[in-house]
Amino acid sequence: MTVPNSNPLIETKELVKKFGSFTALNGVSLKVYPGEVHALLGDNGAGKSTLIKALSGVHQPTSGKILVEGKETKFNSPRDASEVGIGTVYQDLALNSLTSVTRNFFLGRELKFGNGPFGILKMKKMHNIAIEEMAKIGIKIEDPEQPVGTMSGGQRQTLAIARAIYFGAKVLILDEPTSALGQKQQMEVLKTIKKVQQLGNIAIILITHNEIHARLIADRYTFISLGEVIGSGSSKDLEGDDIRRLMAGGAEVGDLAKELA
Amino acid sequence: MSSSENSRKESDRHNPKSSLISLISRPEIGPIGVMILLFGMLGYFSIPASETTWNPFAGEGFNALGIRNNLRVISQLGIIALGAGLLIIAGEFDLSIGSMIGFAGACMAMTLRWGFSIVLPYISFDGGTHLEFYTLLHIPNVTPTLAIFITLCFTLTFGWVQGFIIVRSGLPSFIVTLGGLFFLRGLTEVSLRSFNHRPDQAKGATTVTEIPDIKNIINLPGYGEMEREAAKYLPETDLISIVKNLPSDVIAKISERLEYTAQRVAEAKTDLLIAKGVKPLEKALENAIASDNEFMIKTIQEKIENFKIDPVIPKSITEVDIARAYIDTIGSARPIADFFGGNILETIFDWLYFPIDWNVNNFGNQFAPGLYSCVMIWVILSLVCYIVLSKTQVGNWIYSTGGNLSAAQANGVPTNKVKISLFMFSAFCATLFATCQVFEVNTSDAAKGNLKELEAIAAAVIGGIVMTGGFGTVLGIIVGAFIFGLAKEAFFYIPGIDGSFYRVFLGFVIIASALLNENIRKRIMGNI
Repeated sequence: MTVPNSNPLIETKELVKKFGSFTALNGVSLKVYPGEVHALLGDNGAGKSTLIKALSGVHQPTSGKILVEGKETKFNSPRDASEVGIGTVYQDLALNSLTSVTRNFFLGRELKFGNGPFGILKMKKMHNIAIEEMAKIGIKIEDPEQPVGTMSGGQRQTLAIARAIYFGAKVLILDEPTSALGQKQQMEVLKTIKKVQQLGNIAIILITHNEIHARLIADRYTFISLGEVIGSGSSKDLEGDDIRRLMAGGAEVGDLAKELA
Repeated sequence: MSSSENSRKESDRHNPKSSLISLISRPEIGPIGVMILLFGMLGYFSIPASETTWNPFAGEGFNALGIRNNLRVISQLGIIALGAGLLIIAGEFDLSIGSMIGFAGACMAMTLRWGFSIVLPYISFDGGTHLEFYTLLHIPNVTPTLAIFITLCFTLTFGWVQGFIIVRSGLPSFIVTLGGLFFLRGLTEVSLRSFNHRPDQAKGATTVTEIPDIKNIINLPGYGEMEREAAKYLPETDLISIVKNLPSDVIAKISERLEYTAQRVAEAKTDLLIAKGVKPLEKALENAIASDNEFMIKTIQEKIENFKIDPVIPKSITEVDIARAYIDTIGSARPIADFFGGNILETIFDWLYFPIDWNVNNFGNQFAPGLYSCVMIWVILSLVCYIVLSKTQVGNWIYSTGGNLSAAQANGVPTNKVKISLFMFSAFCATLFATCQVFEVNTSDAAKGNLKELEAIAAAVIGGIVMTGGFGTVLGIIVGAFIFGLAKEAFFYIPGIDGSFYRVFLGFVIIASALLNENIRKRIMGNI
């Protein structure tokens, strides 16, 4: 589902990030469109994490540009990034297992009567919003008072995604959302991502190791190896073998087969 | 995939509970059970040995004075347990509470006794090099409000410093507050010793005494402010003239009450005399029965039957008595001192004595004047804490700071501010404790509050607070304080048991509750 006529929501141009003498990113260019799932694939240490940390404001790039909706933007902190609408869902999901769904959904941004941190919470309203927002991307929660610790991994992922979207994420960065989950829950998360994609106005950057998952939902791929983009394209252009080859950092799987033989 | 499998959703695995089940699976239910058990024990074991009827409210633990004293211990502990408990929920804990109590009490007592000054030390070279002090500010007569304010400035600063060190350095709060424990206790002793050099104090003592009974300073019409006791012992002519100026209905009310008291006292005295007279006869009767002397048994039995004593005549009420009783009814001229150190519910306890005829001691007088003020302060503080923790944004921040620090930070919760504020809050609670104590007893001692920090933590743990943070309720802390305080008192009312058994019991309860809390926490954490 490509939207060729629209402009990219977020774009990087020749992004370079150096940690001392180590070059983590060496000129990465990337375009992500609304309503698209953009899979970011690559081996461990390829620079995926550095890239998303640059996009979510944790790291400041050494050189290169980040454009959000065509405007050049500089992030000094994760807060800056989330203010322009970049929501990152990290692997640990930033959830407190001991408190309820609603309290997690609104953590740090609670709705309340009156100003100041001693404002009384609008619990009912927050319950309703939490249930509604999670239902929008496909998970029905019966009891918003349920502690997050009693939810399944997939439900937790949905909660974190719904929260990011509700608080204005236009670009959703998902860091390995399917790792550490069971087979069934992985499918659940993929369905959730599909639902977000269908909302149409949100660009999703999906970091994954799993080629099968990428093939199932991604519209566009970017492969990163040793800090550089070694290939990209839409799902139509790429064959399964290409993907597998590029994921392994460009090495021919055939070569590996020979070596193993 | 068959359709029946398809229709089953993940959310179906979370069974909604019925209201009864969710009531009994609340984390506080265990502690509440223990609390009821303790109430039962206190009631049952405190029945006098001769009594055969089962009446839980006949025991000494449940008479008016028992309630007054027990609730004092419970509420004092409850105040600091709230400070300790909230801090544990946020994932830190404070070992300096006990020393903070000692420090706050000493600070308050010293300012009340000797006033407050700010001095600048400097080295003087006149007549040999020595240290001189330049007094920047001296307030000789410190009001209770100012004393509390000055003390709070010190204690809140200490709380802030401890919190600041902990959040900035990342050191465990155990170590930093352990340092605070020694530092504050030492500082308290040093300052008390160095101040106790006046001729009116024992040199080197670590106590402050002879503070006036501030909460009982009254404004007697025509005489100005004076202590209540001093007012009662004014010359009798003065007292009589005070009565002359009173409206007649006030006099009638006071004299009715005094007559009632005099009647009760007379009855108690009569009973006492009868008991005194009959007791030797009963003893003689026992001896006679033992020696099988039938004649003696008969005579003594007759004597007991015919034993009579003239009832004690109630004391007549004079105008001086009325004046003294009237002075007792005058409200305090120092409302702040009275707020912290006075009594509450006095009217109810008065009503329980007259006309309800309970709340009477062995000599016929009113037993308990009311509850200690610290009970009210505990109730107010608990209400505030309950609202803050479960109904406000800060409450959610506290839970998340203790539950998952990195998650809280990632969501923009100012976790450092939360922690520092809670360290200051625990210092505030310790100060409240000390304030109540100082205004109740009008003395202070460097040893005050010793080991209270551990009692506060124990009460919080008994009440269902998990030591690793993120879990617990204010109701739990309240129940924990009840259990701890009741156990501490209840064992002293059980005849034939060493009072120190309460520690054995509490040790058991603490470990049992910690195991229970951990179990609940694991159940909620699920598979993370």
